Amino acid sequence: MREAMKKINLSYIISLALSIFVALIIGALIMLINGKSPFIGYSALFSGAFGSKYNLATTFAKTVPLVLTGLGTAISFRSGIFNIGGEGQLYLGAFAAAYIGITFTSLPFFIGIPLAIIFGALVGGLYAFLPGILKVKYKIDEVITTIMLNTVAVLFTSFLVNYPFATTQGKMNGTEIIAQSYHLRRLVKLSTLNTSIFFMSFIAIVIYYLMEKTSIGYDFKMVGQNRMFARYGGINDKKQMLIAMVISGALCGMAGVFEVLGVHYRFLQSISPGYAWDGMLASLMAKNNPVGVVLMAIFLGALKTGSVSMENATSIPSELVMVIQAIIVLFIAGEAGFKDKFVLLNIKRKSKKAGETNA
Amino acid sequence: MAEKLIELKNISKQFPGVLANSNVNLTINKGEIHAIIGENGAGKTTLMNILYGLYEPTQGEIFIDGKKAVIKSPLDAIKQGIGMVHQHFMLLPSLSVAENVVLGSEPKKKKFFMDYDKAIEITKNLAQKYGFKVDPREKIEALSVGVQQRVEILKVLYRGADILILDEPTAVLTPQETDELFNVIRKLVSDMNKTVIIITHKLQEVLAISDRVSVMRQGKLIGTLPTQQADAKILTEMMVGKEVLFHDLHREKVSGEKVLEVKDIKAKDNRGLTVLNGVSFSLRAGEILGVAGVEGNGQSELVEVLTGLRNLEDGDYFINGKKITDVNPSNMRNLGISHVPEDRLTMGLSKEASLWENLLMGLQHKKPFVVKKIHLNKKKIFERTDNLIKEYDIRAIDRYMKVKKLSGGNMQKVVIAREFSFDSPILIIAQPTRGVDVGATEFIHNQIMRKRNEGAAILLVSAELDEIMRLSDRIITIYEGSITGEFKNKEVTKQTLGLYMTGKQNKLKGSEDN
Ligand SMILES: Nc1ncnc2c1ncn2[C@@H]1O[C@H](COP(=O)(O)OP(=O)(O)OP(=O)(O)O)[C@@H](O)[C@H]1O
Ligand SMILES: [Mg+2]
Repeated sequence: MREAMKKINLSYIISLALSIFVALIIGALIMLINGKSPFIGYSALFSGAFGSKYNLATTFAKTVPLVLTGLGTAISFRSGIFNIGGEGQLYLGAFAAAYIGITFTSLPFFIGIPLAIIFGALVGGLYAFLPGILKVKYKIDEVITTIMLNTVAVLFTSFLVNYPFATTQGKMNGTEIIAQSYHLRRLVKLSTLNTSIFFMSFIAIVIYYLMEKTSIGYDFKMVGQNRMFARYGGINDKKQMLIAMVISGALCGMAGVFEVLGVHYRFLQSISPGYAWDGMLASLMAKNNPVGVVLMAIFLGALKTGSVSMENATSIPSELVMVIQAIIVLFIAGEAGFKDKFVLLNIKRKSKKAGETNA
Repeated sequence: MAEKLIELKNISKQFPGVLANSNVNLTINKGEIHAIIGENGAGKTTLMNILYGLYEPTQGEIFIDGKKAVIKSPLDAIKQGIGMVHQHFMLLPSLSVAENVVLGSEPKKKKFFMDYDKAIEITKNLAQKYGFKVDPREKIEALSVGVQQRVEILKVLYRGADILILDEPTAVLTPQETDELFNVIRKLVSDMNKTVIIITHKLQEVLAISDRVSVMRQGKLIGTLPTQQADAKILTEMMVGKEVLFHDLHREKVSGEKVLEVKDIKAKDNRGLTVLNGVSFSLRAGEILGVAGVEGNGQSELVEVLTGLRNLEDGDYFINGKKITDVNPSNMRNLGISHVPEDRLTMGLSKEASLWENLLMGLQHKKPFVVKKIHLNKKKIFERTDNLIKEYDIRAIDRYMKVKKLSGGNMQKVVIAREFSFDSPILIIAQPTRGVDVGATEFIHNQIMRKRNEGAAILLVSAELDEIMRLSDRIITIYEGSITGEFKNKEVTKQTLGLYMTGKQNKLKGSEDN
């Protein structure tokens, strides 16, 4: 308990809360300028996210992919390798699961579902392995390669579902429906919340344990904080980075798997509205802390769900939430995980100012 | 009558759990060299960081030229003509010297682009003006710490500072470099009307260079006195609060087996140039072998090769008589090598990590600190952490404190504590007392000697000849990547070593022949 208290970075939590608060205030101003009452707007948003059993379920349904991709981001960022390719890994993982679900249709659920999850994780992990190995072997910047591989994955799966795997039932830009035995049970009427939330919770606990309580997590963290120190201490830094990258890709792949098995029952050409990006945001806001990632994923999931109800109830466009998110990003960009990448820029900028006043 | 330039009035700084400065009153006169001394953690760096605008004082005021100054950031400090070179450098390693020097107010081409040629020229001229030897085109990461420091100083001068704060500048320098630096400082003060504040742990330096000296202890300013009225004994007593006695180190007779041997090893530096040119020596259990050399002659690389951090290009490396084929850090650790690296912050520590995490490194996969293969056993880890904190007198709030918040000397103690706690048969130690106060230096020397008496084989690399001569049983001199001489400690003088270290041993022979 004492340890838990000590580890909490109070000043950061305060500054994060403050940036969220300011972002919400700016959102309120925008509403005001447009002649809407922020009070009504935000209460519609809140009740839209938490107000009923259905709303609550929808919020939690949204958090499943956010938590998984968020943890994926967190584990890679903490290890000093930056997987920005979550979206691509999610797409491939999702397609892999759908492929299992339409190919091995006669498998019982207790074999089929684990198979689909493992295969999806594997595909996502392998897809992250590629930029990982390029990084540790040839020092090719993983930020750039993972971003590019996103596009490749999205276009490739889009080709697959439009040609070789296109459904014959109408124009869907999707695959056939996966076999019934693969469908994860829905938990709340009308909402898409399904049993994947239990899988997700289990995975989140495992990842938390791995990152915070084990020697592997310790190695990850040391490599991320100071690679030289890690090497000096006998850690194989390259291997650790590669492992972290693969785990990260597997988590993002699984996010895709659950979208297929639990929500759409098929792979769709645009199966993710950018879950991995929101997951990354959750991770950034939480400074790669796994518990924080889960909390921030819930927060972002609530914003997303609530904004739809807000739009319906008050005709405040749901895009406002995007603006609020963007402002939060701006506030924390200097603080959180990206710091190292931007530190050079920052120093340049700061010292530039100093120089001008001096001249 | 001296003219007051800076007055710090009643400055206090409270960190969570630590009162780092407590009602400090300090006056700096125009054109003086003012030394600030005190034990590790006394609050020297904190006080200077306040003057430089990095920290806001909890209480107190700063006056410059009699006017109250508001220094909220380094920007404000620079405007007031104050520049600081930090205890731990803040250069960008992937940029060149010139880029680092001008960074912040670069010469411009077409308004937007940095004029690189101009930057080179500026840097060259600056270096010439102040008598520094640096190549403006060289990348920082390829430079030794000593040269990096000159770049830091150049940077401050380029910004037009009139008041230079130097936080332990000599900690990383060789005696020759220190002399050069002191000449520069004297020139800055006498010819260019600068004022210099210098923090150091070396009393002979205080006596050699400063006009006045201020002593801090546990956050308080104990007193300021003209250097002429001071001597080492007075200053030590002021720092520590009591008389300090130096005992002779107890050296037991140990005759051990040969545990480490290298034959004709070669290695390249970061730029790919050969820096070790066929080095051979051996090391016995219960012996301290000192490596004396001017910085940059291959001793850093030698340490890295022996610990597996640098590629062994050629030659043979034996431990306990067995040839090592796979020389990598984890292997060398498993073979029983502990390593105190020369630069604690780039290699010896993770400053973002807590004390316990830093002390754990190397043991995270070993029982009893890990159970069931991967589960960290926090109870055991913390027990050990707390014992080490006590044993090595690391001044920290608790085991969760981030290492970056420790004072410089206490960071060094963390490295020493960790590496010495492994009870390794071989210790490779580089610059063990860099930035460490008198008391702690004494403590570390005693620990090194204790390890030796217990039978450890120790390789000691240090820029301080005094340190090498105090501890070593045997000394080898290294010059331009080759061993130039080997001596029994008792049978050699500093002067002789100095000649061998600079490749001038022939002179000696010549004069003996005559
Ligand atoms: N950011 C910080 N947060 C908390 N405590 C700090 C911080 N910076 C310094 N301290 C504490 O303040 C005290 C004074 O530290 P300071 O770095 O000023 O010492 P110093 O005199 O420069 O020592 P050294 O000679 O070892 O460099 C130490 O106990 C240190 O742990
Ligand atoms: Mg200090």
